[in-house]
Order: sequence, then C-alpha cells, then structure tokens
Amino acid sequence: MRRPAIALAVILAVAACRRPAASRRASASVAAEPSYELRMGKSVFQHYCQTCHGESGAGDGFNAFNLDPKPRDLSDPAFQKSKRDADLEDAVRRGGNGVGLSPLMPPWGHTLSDQQVAEVVLYLRGLRR
Amino acid sequence: MPLRRLFAATSVAFLAVLAISPAKNVLRPYRAIQRRYFALAASRAKSLKEARGFARRKVAIQQLWLRDFDDRVDRCSTCHLGTAEASMAGAPEPFRLHPKTAHTPGDFDRFGCTSCHGGQGLATEREDAHGTAAEAGPPMTPLPLAEAGCGRCHFAESVADAPMLSRGRALLEKEGCYACHTVRGHESFRSQAPPLSTESVKTGGAWLKRWLRNPRAVDGNATMPDFQLADKEIDALSNYLFSVAPPRELAPRISLAESEPAGDAAHGKKIFSEARCISCHTVEGKGNGSAPELSKVASAATRGWIHAFLRDPQAFNPRTRMPRYHFSDGESRDVVAYIESEFRDFDAPADMLAPVHVNLTLAEAGQRIFRTAGCVSCHDPKTGERFGPDLNGIGDKKATSLDFGRRRELARTLPAWLAAKVDSPRSFAAGLKMPSFELGPEDTRAVVTALLSLAMEPPPEKYRVAAPSAVAPLPGGAVGRLFDRYRCLSCHRVGDRGEDVSTAPLTFEGSRVKRDWLVDYLVVPYSLRPILEERMPVFRMPREEAAQLADALETFFLDPQVPEDPFAGRPASDADAGEGQRLYVTLGCRACHILGSSGGYYGPPLTETPKRLKAGWIDSWLKGPKRWRSDARCPNYGLTDTDALRLTAYLESLPPAAPSKGTTP
Repeated sequence: MRRPAIALAVILAVAACRRPAASRRASASVAAEPSYELRMGKSVFQHYCQTCHGESGAGDGFNAFNLDPKPRDLSDPAFQKSKRDADLEDAVRRGGNGVGLSPLMPPWGHTLSDQQVAEVVLYLRGLRR
Repeated sequence: MPLRRLFAATSVAFLAVLAISPAKNVLRPYRAIQRRYFALAASRAKSLKEARGFARRKVAIQQLWLRDFDDRVDRCSTCHLGTAEASMAGAPEPFRLHPKTAHTPGDFDRFGCTSCHGGQGLATEREDAHGTAAEAGPPMTPLPLAEAGCGRCHFAESVADAPMLSRGRALLEKEGCYACHTVRGHESFRSQAPPLSTESVKTGGAWLKRWLRNPRAVDGNATMPDFQLADKEIDALSNYLFSVAPPRELAPRISLAESEPAGDAAHGKKIFSEARCISCHTVEGKGNGSAPELSKVASAATRGWIHAFLRDPQAFNPRTRMPRYHFSDGESRDVVAYIESEFRDFDAPADMLAPVHVNLTLAEAGQRIFRTAGCVSCHDPKTGERFGPDLNGIGDKKATSLDFGRRRELARTLPAWLAAKVDSPRSFAAGLKMPSFELGPEDTRAVVTALLSLAMEPPPEKYRVAAPSAVAPLPGGAVGRLFDRYRCLSCHRVGDRGEDVSTAPLTFEGSRVKRDWLVDYLVVPYSLRPILEERMPVFRMPREEAAQLADALETFFLDPQVPEDPFAGRPASDADAGEGQRLYVTLGCRACHILGSSGGYYGPPLTETPKRLKAGWIDSWLKGPKRWRSDARCPNYGLTDTDALRLTAYLESLPPAAPSKGTTP
C-alpha cells in the first residue's frame, strides 16, 4: 500500500519542478528567412556582378552588350552542374584571365574576402533557373 | 505505534523532497541536448581522434563571463555548442555554426552572445533564455532584425555589413523622424521643409487642400507624411496659411517677377535640361526624386512665385538643398516660360490657384492646429524643442510597459509594437498625433531594426564605435559662400558632411583632378558617368568663381598619402607606357571604361585622363580603389608597384582627344 504512495509522491514532486510548457505560440514567427550568408551573398552579387551578369544571372546586365565575349549565363543548369563550388570560387577570385577565359571578367580575390567569395557562390547556386 | 508510522511517513516525504534537487538537474533539457550534440559532432568529425574527443566530453553548463559588460554571464553555449565548430556548418539548430562576421568567431569571449542578440544569458532553459516565457526578462532580438545589435555599439549612420540597420537609420533621417523625436546624436537635425510664409502668393486654396489631404498622393516625392487631417482642420489650416503676410523682402520680388514679360519656352527647355534639374527633382517620375516632382508644378504655384524662387531659392528657404543658379534675367524667364507651358496639370480645376478668402476665426483655429498637430516641428523648427516622445532607450522598453490600445491582436512584443507604430501609428487610439509614412514592409522592418538599436544605456566606453570623423573643415570666406550658394554639400560629401548623391566626394578632390580641367568642368560640366540619372548641373558659373573654387580644392582638399609625383623624378619611358597599354588590355579595363571609341558604360570614360586626373592619384587608385569609397566597384587587381606605375604612365600618355569631344553622351 505504501509503495505506490511513495512513488506517487516522487512523481508529483518531479512534475512540480517541470515548467508548464509556457509558450507554444512562439516560434511561429520566423518563416522561410534567407540565411545570413545568402543575404550577404546577394548584396555582393548586386553590387559587383549584376551590372554585367544581370539580376537573374542570365548574362543580360545593362553593361553586357559592351562586352565581347558576352558574360556567362550563370543561371544555365548545365553550367551550374558542370562546376564545383571550388571552381566557381576560383573563377571569382582569379577572374577570366586566371582561369583561361575572357579578361573582361575581373579578378575579385583582392577585393572580396574569402567569406564574401563563398557567400556570393552560395547565392549563385540559387540563380539556377 | 501510530507515532512510529507517522515518523516513517515524514522520513520518506523528507527523502523525496531531498531528491528533488538532483532530479531537477538530471532532468534539465540541456543535458539531453548536449548528449545529442556530442553524438552529432562525433559523427561529423574529420578524424577518429576528434570524434573520440567529442564522445568523451562531459555534460556541463558552458558559460562566458563578460567582464566588461557588468560581469554578465552568458550560458547560451550550453545548448548552442557548435557556434565556433567549423564542422557544424549547416547543422540543425541549436548546433549550427555561427555565420562568420566581423566579430565572430574572434570576439565570442569578449562580447558573449547577449551583447548582440539580447535575451537572458543566465538562463539555461530555452523559453527563459530566449525570453519567450511569460515571466522571463527582455527577449532576444528576432533574427531578421538582428542587425539592431550591431547598432548598439556602432553609432555611425552607415554600418558596414549591416545593410538593414544602415537603411533604417537613413530612413529615420530622410523621413524627418528626428524633427519630432529626440535621438542622441541627432539633436541638431533640422527639417528641410520650407517656412510657410509665402503660401498666400504661391498657391491657391484648392491646391493647398489637396496637398493637406495627403501630400504623397499629390507628389510621390513629398517628404511630408499624411497627417490624416479632418476637413475642418484642413479648412482652418488653409485659412491660417493664407492669413500669413509674405515677408517684406520677398513680396516685391514675387510681384515683380509676375509682371515680367513671358520668355522663350523653347530656349527654356534647353536650359532646363542643361541645368540637370532631375538630378534632384523628377519629371513624370524620371529623376532622382529627392526634390518635388515638377510635371504639374505650374498648376501648384503661381508664375511669379516660381520665377522669384528659381532666382533665389535660399531666400525663400534657408534650409533648402537647392542651389542658386547663375541665370541671367532672360534665361530664368525662358525657363519659367517652359515650365508654364509644359508642366501643367491639364485635369486641374480652373480655380486651382484661386486664393482663400480668409476667415479670421478659422485662421486663428488654424494657427492653433499648426502648433498642436506638430506642423511647426518641420516648418518652423526651434532649437531644443521636440514635439514627440524621446526615442532614446526605446530598444530596451519592456513589452509590459507598452500601450497596445486597440491593437489587441498584436503579439505582445516590442518589435511587433514598433512595427505597428511605424506602419499605422493612429491605429492604437483616437487622438494620436504621429502621421502616417506609408513605408511598406521592407522599410518598416529596417526602421524597426534601427529603433531597436537605441539602447537605454550605451555599451562600455571602449566598445563604442563612433561615426568615423574625417572632418574636413569647410572653407569660410568667399569660397565658403560659393559652397553655400551652389549647395555643393547637397550632393557631394566633404569628410563626414554632405550628402552622398554624387559618386565623387570632394574631401580629396585636389589630389584627384587637375586644376585647369576642374575650372573648365565647373563652368561647363559634362557627364562623366552617362548611366547615372544624377549629374552635375550646369550652374552657369562665372569663370572667376570656378577658378576660386578650383584653387581652394587644389590647395586644401588634399590626401597626404597621394604622392605629387608617383614616378619620383624619373619620368616613365615609352616602353613603360607600352607595357601599361598591354596591361590595360589584359586586365580587361575596357569591360567598364570607354577609351577611344569602345568600352563599357560602367566606370568613367578614360579618354581624357591626361587632362583630368593626376598621376599620383591614378597610381594610388590602382593600388587600392577602396581607399576613398568603400563601395567602389573597380576591382583591386593586386598590381605590383611597377605595374601600377606602368598603367599610370600609359593613361597619362594618351593623346589629347580629337576635337569631336562633343560626342560624349
């Protein structure tokens, strides 16, 4: 008779220490926010890349028609598939000249930090159409 | 017997109570979380040794002791264990690697977590620590608004890597919030809104009523917000404004201008486009938009007023950003003729500019409204007086101390309250005075971020980052008067003063451009960057004034780090210039710059470089374009000193442009 009573006392005591689930309503607020890295990557892209590569990455920025060869269509799925992140980062850092392509794509390795290069590549990956 | 039984029962109860304390600890959720983390980290580890290290780790409270911040203790890392662990990139919360920022991971030990993110550092249970529990202390700043944390130490208007905060602060300034609200560092803010002393001779009752009904519906560029005035109030205010007699020095100018003969509209059109009015104004939406839309201005103001204003805007409004052009009487007449013929609202009622017949009782009521509704704050600012509540410390307000009034549906949090206040300030109760700014969700969020950065207490002294003060003293005397007349600071920055409309800050202009070129340019400016809407206006500046300005810039606005002669007395050879030309091609400079007949539209054309730019500046620029503007797009190519000099030599050796210079767009 006594043992269940003790067990009950212990359970009750422990339960009393547990906090009632106070806020089930919180946590609904943060929906699909783009990550910090993605937001930073977007701002780098808009600032440095968009004039030639275009808003959607299709190579149709307003300065593109002055360039020959034309800027790469970054949103092309085949292109995206053929390059690893490291390749893209390398091309951003060393520019067209560095990777054996047109010198009209400048090297950004002395302008952008490694972190920024990684962020802009992360953003490029989302441009795939 | 019964006594013994009672003793046994109390002993058992006593033991049970004693057991609660360890049981409470054993059952804390962080223990399970830490065990989960160790397993996850072990599975993600790069080496067996590392994995074993994780597997061996003991469950324990983790904490950072923040000596500089009132000896606060942050225990966030008790659950957020992976914030500094590279292998935890992309791991699920709460284990994710903290994104790299200027302060992470380097400053974890100094700042802890709560200095930036807010919340309750001491707590070890989720709801308490994040501040979502009903009885918890001030909550964390929601992640989308996290840049508010940057602003607690960084007091500059524009904070690198915090675009939302910078945008919010810019909006607080642009929307004129500081005209009514006190905020530390902005005590000297004055709205650019005009004094309203000449309304009776400027416009008509019909137009004024439209404007007061909702200024931004009349002109999308209007800075005046919507005060949601009732018809009676609008009527009273119109009567008051028409009862104010124009100042004695302005009235004759207006009547004189009214009586002048009409000018030549076709010629006026030419002057109008040369004057680059749309560097600030818009015409049918085209232009910068920081000054009024002009396409209907002739239906908003009388001919005489427009003319007198154009001749000397600063006499009408000493706080205006508008320069005083050097138009001759004939030229200004032509411009006004053009405005009169083109910039009309053809749907406007005929009596748009008919004056209000003043009823003195109404005018008196209007004068009271002018004070009580807050119009004075912008239109007649007095020092030290602020109409609205002080906003210092608003970012630390407790949610329980906020008046949610009618807005019962809102989440009881400070960010939600602020967002609603900014978005629809009058919705909380009847009789509130804050006008509506119609900002839209993105801008509202930016403003809330900036507001949340206004802390009750500033951080410890050594953590405060003030606005960088590269204060260049502005010239006084005759040159100072020219700066003022042409309102150079409305577009150009000088040190930390002036607005950033032009891409060319003037702080070091003397190190950058050649004096003779500058004189010619000031007399007849042309577009260096054709893609920009905002271009230097043709002020019709007399040559003497241009020379005076250029001399001052040449003498005082210098960057000591830019060498006068980068070649150090050994002039570059033709071979050097030849090498430079090769570099120009292989670096791909033509992607952005026009040289000769081809090139990109992004940077300034370089054809005229030898006339325009100083060699020392080109050389310094090539070695680090971001030295003068952090947003310069020109890449740093990491050139060696020799290569930079060669490229400089090439650009300085370009032949003078063919006489067909006029083709520059």
